[in-house]
Amino acid sequence: MSEDLKKSPMDRRKFFRTCGAILAGGSVLGTVGAVASKLKVSGADVFWQIDPFTCTQCGRCETDCILPVSAVKCFHANKVCGYCDLCGGYYRPSVKDLNTAAENLMCPTGAITRKFVEEPYFEYTIDEDLCNGCGKCVKGCTSFGNGSLFLQVQQDLCLKCNECNIAKVCPADAIKRVSQDEAYMLKDHA
Amino acid sequence: MIVARFPKPDFSSGYEYPDIVHPAPYEQLWNWIDIFLLVALMGVVAWAAHKKHSRAAIVGVSLFSLAYFGFYRSGCVCSVGSIQNVVLALTDSGYQLPLYVLLLFVLPIIFTMIFGRVFCAGVCPLGALQEIVNVRNFRMSRAVTSALSVIPWIYLAFTILYAATRSQFLICKFDPFIGIFRLGGDVGMIVFGVLLLLLSIFVGRPFCRFLCPYGALLSIFGSLSWKKVEVTRKECINCTLCHMACPVDAIRPPYANKVKEDRLAGVKRIVMYAVLLPVVTALCALLIGSGSDALSRAHKDVYLYDLIQQVEANPEMDIPLEVETFNGLGRNVEDLRTEVEAIQHDYKVYSYLIGALIGLVLSVKLIKLSTKRTRKTYEIDDANCLACGKCFNYCPQEIKKK
Ligand code: SF4
Ligand code: SF4
Ligand code: SF4
Repeated sequence: MSEDLKKSPMDRRKFFRTCGAILAGGSVLGTVGAVASKLKVSGADVFWQIDPFTCTQCGRCETDCILPVSAVKCFHANKVCGYCDLCGGYYRPSVKDLNTAAENLMCPTGAITRKFVEEPYFEYTIDEDLCNGCGKCVKGCTSFGNGSLFLQVQQDLCLKCNECNIAKVCPADAIKRVSQDEAYMLKDHA
Repeated sequence: MIVARFPKPDFSSGYEYPDIVHPAPYEQLWNWIDIFLLVALMGVVAWAAHKKHSRAAIVGVSLFSLAYFGFYRSGCVCSVGSIQNVVLALTDSGYQLPLYVLLLFVLPIIFTMIFGRVFCAGVCPLGALQEIVNVRNFRMSRAVTSALSVIPWIYLAFTILYAATRSQFLICKFDPFIGIFRLGGDVGMIVFGVLLLLLSIFVGRPFCRFLCPYGALLSIFGSLSWKKVEVTRKECINCTLCHMACPVDAIRPPYANKVKEDRLAGVKRIVMYAVLLPVVTALCALLIGSGSDALSRAHKDVYLYDLIQQVEANPEMDIPLEVETFNGLGRNVEDLRTEVEAIQHDYKVYSYLIGALIGLVLSVKLIKLSTKRTRKTYEIDDANCLACGKCFNYCPQEIKKK
């Protein structure tokens, strides 16, 4: 009996601490529960993608991706393309001779190849390994052609930063979080 | 929306459109491997810290986590950053929180509530990186460490403000080690990261203790943890060796409270605390709340609106790209203004809230500094103990056992 009454302060503190811990733990769990009931959780992952209809080809996609060479690439919607000889995305606006000398071409990295199909049509193909996402061809094609060239985040290259570094600076607010089924926003599907 | 300036070609040579397949995103399976490893590694640390009492396994976990979570998975999304996703999901109706991100956030908390901060011990790649390079620990005075330990809370508060107002993800922006994991990125942050690492050689875990907002959260759960990490289960002989070994200064020396406080003084002290707490909280709320308009410039749209005002005020200036794009897209300034007003209203509300949070933390820290407890032996402070296990090998009682 008397043993019990003369408990050392350490024991008493231990008791209070346990009570406190249970109380605090309980209230923390309670808040967590309340917060959790408000959360909209989904099993699917999210991705970053460019809405090609909002993008203004400002050039920041090339410079602001955290990767050494941007994960943003030019895509080509062949079904929208006019297969023109004088391609606004392939040649610079004021070229004199239509030859494939580098100074006449829009793409700084030589990522666009053109292949003769039949008179007067040419097929254009993008080599994604060379493309740096600068959007120069896209701008040309969108202003003078059918807009079949457009920029997209290539999903196998993108590291899915928690906040996309380009989205932070995109002046058109064209880069959004999308779900798996919208992982690409292709123009030939629109 | 597509302007067909040129008609669809009408091929006569039987040309077929090429079939272009765009590469699929990363396999989602990786996300679940991450979660599995997170749990497994925390389990290993819990076993090593509580049952086996061995540091070797914890060092092993650190190395593995550094290689896998840090360098291989390049550190994104991580538990530290997931705070922002949770806040965003609570405030942005358009954002659905992916389940695995929620688990990244919750699992370390659950483990901490049971076993102490086993996540921090070496599962977190940011912690592991600092742990691996640490050789010495220069001890700072209690006043300095207490003052510095307020920073993570302020950081956490602003992180919440900027995530809740959909402005930016501060933790991602100021992550000092992500550039090292990815071997590239923002030069300024990499330099900062390298400096922090150099500092970690002499001072244990500077990022974890004086910056990490997730660590601040976990410190609460750590102090509530069910199973406490113990230096030794044998009797402490007050040799001070564990205290000297702890890299994060989480082992408190014995202390004898000689002056017995009389009842009246005790009551007075408690009344003073009861006054101090709400006053400091309210003051901080007012302080941050009054700066909310200035803070809101971190939001893209508010910044844009500001730029537009500037251009209007002096038409000679070069038109910034943001404004040019805004005009080019034919967006309306009036609409933008209403948007900006809504954003600024949000900022007002959240600024008061986070101000109160900062005030609360400040006053609790002050109260803690002024209360002294009697301790007979060296004791682990569970809020700060990272379960790194360094002390185990220093305790002579513990070594005798082996
Ligand atoms: S930053 Fe935006 S507007 Fe500029 S090229 Fe990229 S998506 Fe287009
Ligand atoms: S999420 Fe990261 S890797 Fe992907 S495009 Fe944006 S900045 Fe580049
Ligand atoms: S011009 Fe720029 S965006 Fe177009 S293919 Fe070349 S590198 Fe890519």
